[in-house]
Amino acid sequence: MLGIADYLWRLIPGNPILRRVVENAGKKRRDMVIRCAYLGLLVAVVLYTLWLSGDDFGDLAALARQSTHLFQQMSYLQLGLVALLSPIFTAGAITQEKDSQTYDILLSTPLTNAQIVLGSLLSRVFFVVALLVSGIPIFAVTQIFGGVAINSIIASFLIAASTALVTGAMAMAIATFKIGTRRTIFSFYLFIIVYLVGGILLDRVDFFHLSFIDSTGAPAQTSTSWLTAFNPFLALRVIFKDKAYMPPNVADLPEAYRTWPMSWVWTSPDTFYYSFMLFLSFAMMAPSVILLRRLAQSTSSLKGWFLQKIHLSRGDRSRRPRSVWHNPIAWREAKTKASAARATFLRYGFIVLGMTGAIVLLVWHSTELAPGKFINHSYDPMKNTLYIEGSGLPEMPVASGVDVKIGDNPATNDALNGRYQVNNYTQDANGAIATIDLDEFARKLSSDDAQSWLLGLTIVEFSVILLIISNAAASTVTREKEDGTLDLLLSTPITSRYYIWGKLRGLVAFVLPLIAVPVASAFIFVAHDFFRWIAQRDSSFDWIVFPEALITMPAMLIIACAFAAILGMQMSLRCRTTVRAVMSSVGIVVGACAAMGWCGYEILDSSSMSGAIAVAIGAFSPFTLLTILIDPRQYAGAAFQQGQSYDPATARIVTFVFCVIALGVYSMGIWSMYKSMVKNFDMTIRKQSR
Amino acid sequence: MAAVIKTVNLTKRYGTLVALSNLNLEINEGDCFGFIGPNGAGKTTTIKILATLLQPTWGEARVCDYVVGYQSRSIRPLIGYVPDYFGAYEDMVVQEYLEFFAAAYNINGSQRNKIVNDVLELTDLGYKRDSLVDGLSRGMKQRLSIARVLVHDPKVLLLDEPAGNLDPRARIEMRELLKELRRMGKTILISSHILPELADLCNTVGIIEQGELLYSGPVADIVRKARAGTVILVGVTRAPEQAAALLAQHPDVDAVAPNNGFLQVSLKNGKQDYSFIASQLIAGGFQINLIREEEVNLETAFMRLTKGMVQ
Repeated sequence: MLGIADYLWRLIPGNPILRRVVENAGKKRRDMVIRCAYLGLLVAVVLYTLWLSGDDFGDLAALARQSTHLFQQMSYLQLGLVALLSPIFTAGAITQEKDSQTYDILLSTPLTNAQIVLGSLLSRVFFVVALLVSGIPIFAVTQIFGGVAINSIIASFLIAASTALVTGAMAMAIATFKIGTRRTIFSFYLFIIVYLVGGILLDRVDFFHLSFIDSTGAPAQTSTSWLTAFNPFLALRVIFKDKAYMPPNVADLPEAYRTWPMSWVWTSPDTFYYSFMLFLSFAMMAPSVILLRRLAQSTSSLKGWFLQKIHLSRGDRSRRPRSVWHNPIAWREAKTKASAARATFLRYGFIVLGMTGAIVLLVWHSTELAPGKFINHSYDPMKNTLYIEGSGLPEMPVASGVDVKIGDNPATNDALNGRYQVNNYTQDANGAIATIDLDEFARKLSSDDAQSWLLGLTIVEFSVILLIISNAAASTVTREKEDGTLDLLLSTPITSRYYIWGKLRGLVAFVLPLIAVPVASAFIFVAHDFFRWIAQRDSSFDWIVFPEALITMPAMLIIACAFAAILGMQMSLRCRTTVRAVMSSVGIVVGACAAMGWCGYEILDSSSMSGAIAVAIGAFSPFTLLTILIDPRQYAGAAFQQGQSYDPATARIVTFVFCVIALGVYSMGIWSMYKSMVKNFDMTIRKQSR
Repeated sequence: MAAVIKTVNLTKRYGTLVALSNLNLEINEGDCFGFIGPNGAGKTTTIKILATLLQPTWGEARVCDYVVGYQSRSIRPLIGYVPDYFGAYEDMVVQEYLEFFAAAYNINGSQRNKIVNDVLELTDLGYKRDSLVDGLSRGMKQRLSIARVLVHDPKVLLLDEPAGNLDPRARIEMRELLKELRRMGKTILISSHILPELADLCNTVGIIEQGELLYSGPVADIVRKARAGTVILVGVTRAPEQAAALLAQHPDVDAVAPNNGFLQVSLKNGKQDYSFIASQLIAGGFQINLIREEEVNLETAFMRLTKGMVQ
C-alpha cells in the first residue's frame, strides 16, 4: 500500500520534472506578462459588457440576463485564449529531443517512463491550467448577479482544461514517436486552427446534422451536429442553453442513436467533449508511457517509415544532384524546401485536393437536372408552333403577342428556339400559347451555390497559401542563423541585396504551384462559361467567375504572397528564434487579413457608400477582390445587381482599374520594405552576432 | 614578403566585455599561422572579423591590403572561411552543396562543374557526391567544409577549429589535406587546441589570451622564449634526496625538485652549462641513469606563456 502511495507521489507531486517547472513558475517575466494580459482581457470583457448593458439592471431578471451574457463572453474569450496559448506552450515538446540535450540524460536516470511523460506533459500544460485557475475570481463575479449555474462555470473550465490537456498530449505523442521536426510546430498550429475553425464552419452544413420526426410528427433536424461533441467552441455553446443550439432529447433521436454512447454524444455533447478529450489524452499518452525508451532507442522514425511506404521517400542517404540556379539563394528557397518528402506530400495533397474540389464543383454545376417540361429548339417559326417536351401534348400554336420570360426578364420569341425548362405556360382560347415562363435548366449545383462554394474554396486555399508562405519566410533567415549557414553565406561575395532578393524570389517561386490551384479553379469555370457564352451571345450573361479574373486574380495573389513573404522575412531578420519569428509574422498576416477582410466586406455591404466606390476600395484587399470576381451579387450587390445605379460592366471596369492600382501600391510597399531590409541587413545581423 | 593578413590595434568589445584588445598581427603570404589560446581568448572573434562577419570596435584589420569593413566586398572572394561548426542545409547532396557555394561566388556553367569535380577529387570526396550532406560523418563534413572553401580558389584560408571533435584518423587526414593546401601556396590561419598538430603544420604561431596577443612568431622562437632557464632531468639509482641536496649546493643551481622519480634541476638565469652535474654526482658516489635537458614543446610553451584565464 505504501509502495503504491510512494509511486503515485513520485508520479505527479514529487515528479522532479514537474516540480522544476512549478517551483520556477511565476519567476519568468514573460509568464507574468502573459498572465497579466490574460487577466486584463477578462477584466476588460467584464467592464465592457457592464458598460454596454447601461442601465439594464432594473430587476433581478435583468441582472441575471446580464450575468449570463457576461459569462458567455468570458467563456468564449477564455476558451479562445486557451486554444491560442496551448499550442504555443505545448508545441515545444515536439522538438525537445533535438533542441534539448537533457532528454537523453533524463532517459538514462532511474525515472520511469510514466514520470518522464507525465512530467513533461503536465509541466507544459501547467502554465495554461494556472492561467485558468487565476481567472476563477473574475468568473465569480457572475455569481454575484445570479443567472449562471455553478455547474455551467465548472463545465466551461473543464472544456478549456481538457482542450489544453489534449493539445499537450498530442504534442507529446508526436515527440515520442519521432514524427516531429521544427517545421512540425507550424503544421501543429495549422492543424489546431483548421480543426477548430473547420469544425465551427462545417457545423453549419446540413450533412452533419441528424434528421428526425419531432413530437408533432413533422420532419426536423437537430440544431447540434456530429461535430458539437468534438469541438470545444460548439460544446461550449451547448452549456449556454441557447435555444437555437439545443441538443435533442433521447426520445427525439432516431432509434439507432438512442443507445450509449450515441445517445451521450447527441444529448450531452458538452460532457461527452471533456470526458472524451480526457480519455483521448490518456489514449495518446499510454503508448508513449509504454514505448518511450524503446522508441528513443530506435534509429528510424515513424514518419520515415510512413513516407517510405507511400513511396515519397526511399530512406536513402543519397540521390542524384539537381542543377543549382545562378542565384543559389533563390534555388534553395524554391527547390530544397519543396523537395523534402513531407513538403512534396503536402504540396501534392494541396494541389490534388484543390483541383478535385474545383472539378467536382464544375461537374455538379454542369450537371443538368431533368426538368418536367422543357423546350429544346423545338420552335418552328414557319408554322409558328412550339413543342413542349413532357407536356404530353403535340405541337402547340404560339399566339402572335406571346409573352416570353426567361427568369424574371422579358425575352423575345427567339428564346423559344433555345433550350430551356418550362416553368409555366398559359394558352388562350384558341389553344395557342399566350404566356410562357422559361428558365435555364436547373443544375445539380445552381450558379449561386457554385459561386459560394468556389469562393469558399479559393479563400480557404489562399488562406492556407498565406500561412505557408508566412511560415516559410519567417523561418528562412532565423533557421540559417540557428544552423550557422548564414555566416557561411555572409563570408561569400553575396551581397545583402542579392541575398534578400534571392530569398524573396525563391519564396514566391515556392508557392507559385500552390497559387496556380485557385487560379486554375477559376480558369476551368471561365472556360466552361466561355463556351456557354459563345452559344448564347447574351450581353447580360452571368459568369460564375468574371474572365478578367484570369489576369487580376493571379497578379493579386502573387503580390499578396510576396507581401507576406517580405513581411515574414522582416520578422525573420529581426527575431533570434524561428518560433518567435513564425509566431510574429503569422500573427501579423492573420491580423492584417482579418482587418482588411472585415473592412472590405463592411465596405462592400455598406448601404451608405455608392457601389463603384465600394468595389474600388474592395479591390485593395485580396479577399474582397476574390469575392468581387467570383461571387459579386451576394457580397457586392449594390454594384453588380442589374437595374442598380451602376451597371455590372461599370463595376467590373472599376474593379479592374483599382485592382491594377492596388497592385502598384502593394508593389511599392514591397519595394520599400525590400530597400529598407537591404539597407539595414548588415546592421541587424551584426547586432545579433555574438 | 608581403603581409596578407595584418591587424593594427584590433579591438572588439561586446558591451563591457573586451574580446580583443589592441591585437597586432602579421601573417605573410604562404604562411601557415597557428592561432592558439584558451577558450574565450578571442580567436573566433579575430577570425570572424577577418572573415568580414564582424566589425572591429576600433583598430584595423587588412586582408590582402583591403580593409575589413570598408572593402569587405573585395575581401570575400579572396578568403575561405571554415567556422567551428558545420553549416548544413537540409536535403542537399554533396555536389549540390558545393555547386550552391560555387554559385555564391558567381562561378557558373561548365566551369562550375569542373571546379566541383576537382575539389571533390582533392578532398577525396568524389565517391560521396550523391550523398546527403546531413548523413555524412563528422570527418567527412569537415572535409566537405574544406572543399567548400576551395571552390573559388581563395588566397587565404581562415579555419576555426577544423579538427575539433574529429577521431584520430580523420584528424590525420585533415592535417595531410592542410599540408597539401600549404604546398599549393595558400595562406592559412588556423585555430586549434591540438597543439602538436599545429607544431607539425604551422611555421608561425600566435598565442592569445584574454584578447591580447602574448606572442607571435616562428614556432622555434616561441619554444626558445618559453624556456625561462635551462632545466635538466637527472636520474640516480639510489638516495635521490641526498643527490638533490648535493646538487642544490652548487652555485649555478637555482632549484632542485623531484619529478616523476627524477630530479628536475633548474639552473640560474644565464647558466647553460650543466656538465658539472655529472661530475659532482659521481664524486658524491651516485650512479647516474639519466641526464638530459628537458624538452620544451609547443604545449609546454603554451602552458608557460598563458595563465589559463578566460573572459
